Amino acid sequence: MAGWSEKVLDIDLSTQTYQTYPLDMEMARLFVGGRGLGARLLWDMVGPEVNTLSPENVLIFTNGPLTGTGYQTSNRFSVTTKSPLTGTILDANSGGFWGMQFKKAGYDVMIVRGKAEKPVWIEIKNDVIAFHDASELWGMRVFALTAKLGQNNNKRNVLCIGPAGENLSRMASIMNDRERALARGGPGAVMGSKNLKAVVVEGRDRPVINDPERFKFMLYETRKLLAASPLTSQALPEFGTVVLMNIMNNIGALATRNHQQTQFEGAEAISGEELSEKYLVKNSACWACPIGCTRISKTEKGEGEGPEFESTWAFGAQCGIADLPAIIEANTLCNDLGLDTITAGSTIACAMELSEKGYMDSDLRFGRADQLAPTLEAMAYRRDIGSDLTDGSLRLATKYSHPEFSMSAKGMEMPAYDPRGMQGQGLLYATSNRGGCHMRGNMVGPEVLGLPKMIDRFQVQGKSSFVILHQNVSAAIDSLVICKFTNMGVADEYFARVLSSVTGIQYDTGELTRVGERVWNLERLYNLREGFTRKDDTLPQRLLTEAPTEGPSKGWVVKLEPMLKEYYRGRGWDENGVPKPQKLTELKLADLLVRI
Amino acid sequence: MPVVKLYANLRKLAGTKEVSIPGATVGAVLNELVKQNPALDGIILQDEELRPHVVVTLNGHNKIDINMQVQEQDVIAVFPPIAGG
Repeated sequence: MAGWSEKVLDIDLSTQTYQTYPLDMEMARLFVGGRGLGARLLWDMVGPEVNTLSPENVLIFTNGPLTGTGYQTSNRFSVTTKSPLTGTILDANSGGFWGMQFKKAGYDVMIVRGKAEKPVWIEIKNDVIAFHDASELWGMRVFALTAKLGQNNNKRNVLCIGPAGENLSRMASIMNDRERALARGGPGAVMGSKNLKAVVVEGRDRPVINDPERFKFMLYETRKLLAASPLTSQALPEFGTVVLMNIMNNIGALATRNHQQTQFEGAEAISGEELSEKYLVKNSACWACPIGCTRISKTEKGEGEGPEFESTWAFGAQCGIADLPAIIEANTLCNDLGLDTITAGSTIACAMELSEKGYMDSDLRFGRADQLAPTLEAMAYRRDIGSDLTDGSLRLATKYSHPEFSMSAKGMEMPAYDPRGMQGQGLLYATSNRGGCHMRGNMVGPEVLGLPKMIDRFQVQGKSSFVILHQNVSAAIDSLVICKFTNMGVADEYFARVLSSVTGIQYDTGELTRVGERVWNLERLYNLREGFTRKDDTLPQRLLTEAPTEGPSKGWVVKLEPMLKEYYRGRGWDENGVPKPQKLTELKLADLLVRI
Repeated sequence: MPVVKLYANLRKLAGTKEVSIPGATVGAVLNELVKQNPALDGIILQDEELRPHVVVTLNGHNKIDINMQVQEQDVIAVFPPIAGG
């Protein structure tokens, strides 16, 4: 069938063998690809009895029917696993080139099971799969390793872990194409636990498209739409994502010093405007992306991709640091070590608060830019204080008897948007299936930027319907898989038409959104099976009880309980947050309910 | 006099980050801003309304009406279309 390669590559590292077999196409039709397909496969393979860092956990790499077709931003791919950071289902997706190359190698899915006796790396050239000894590569950092294994953007692409993954840091990312990341939730630790250092892919076959003429027209139309939107043609290319810093600060929703405040006096110094004026070298773009939001920045210490808004915030406002060069260097260092910037920055901030308040014996202090790089190094190698920090803020704060200082939901550190100034974002964090995350729907559009129209960010009643819609659409886009920024210029109903032209299956808008809802409910079932309950749909006490004392969000806490009740009803779940049988039948998930 | 803060490419167009502008309402202030800075003509306002995706905050509150009254000490922030996440 067009769009999908209809082929699964299933690797067992314990025996260093592999098999290939046909993809279940009924499953593909229902879950499409990427995040959805990964979740459905994980459901069958990894149950509650599996320790996340044991050989029984798996890594499932998936692309989607649009990947590699040349449709705008069709470069993305996913990894799905059980998260060593949170214990929830985890998917992370990344751009760059690797996903396109993997699709060209002729696969929709790569499952990695077991554990190699010694470090290995895998080389894939369509049907030729080779296992190589990686003993000499073990210990190498990401940039050097990527170059050594022959990264060549359009021909040969490298995916790997750095020292953080090798040392089983629960915030270790998997890196691809040097500086793109499957960042959140610790997938790099799972890869490290398997003694798998890298996967290098060379592909030769372009994906088959069912209706090339119609698809070509879609490409043309999408190009026009992206060019016509000031968001995708001007805002993102010119200032990148960091341009959000000033507006979030202006409205009093920029989490600051481990969420102790909602405005940062140094925001201007770490803003997108400052980055563009003083440190930007040029823009860069992933494969088939006309937007080009990536920044290439330069300081006295070197040049690198980024930083994005969330990374700048994590090492900036969250740590009380207004030193942009130090933040740029911390971001680059994380990419080289293979660390998730959001969790790393927020965990350092947590340690700073614990230390300032005398609960932890360390010299970490808010505002100390000089402490970023050495602390990150220590975290990646589990050295000294780094061994306390490298498994995330919740484990750190729990060790020092103050778990309330971990600014996380379900154990995943939340990003920059302080939900006391964005009620919907609070509900979104509390209900996100992989924990505190802004990529499982994001209310910054309707609550801050007026996209598609401005809604009252402090409104509580009725907010759940927006959150549910955003979550479902995000799950659908993550299953295609394309970049969510495309959606800023192209309405989501358009993606159904593109998917139809590529696959030959007629998807309408409703069906695509239904795919997203199906994926969301499946992820929910997975977490319920793991033992998560209604009580885990919550936020740090600080956000529920401590109102900011100044700024535009003064006096506000997150009014979670009424939003949550409304959310469960809107989702068709019972009062405990369990999907009702009728909802699961409607979503063609009923057969899974008997298994939780 | 109300203070207007400008962000992103508006700074380059107006040649400043911040300026004091007289006016009784948000709309009046913005109209005067454009009058004093012709480079902003058609960038912020269109037919007496905010252009699509332009965000204006009044003292940090972003759900506003351009007919809202402003006081001497008020701060109006103007953001051109921006995005991210």
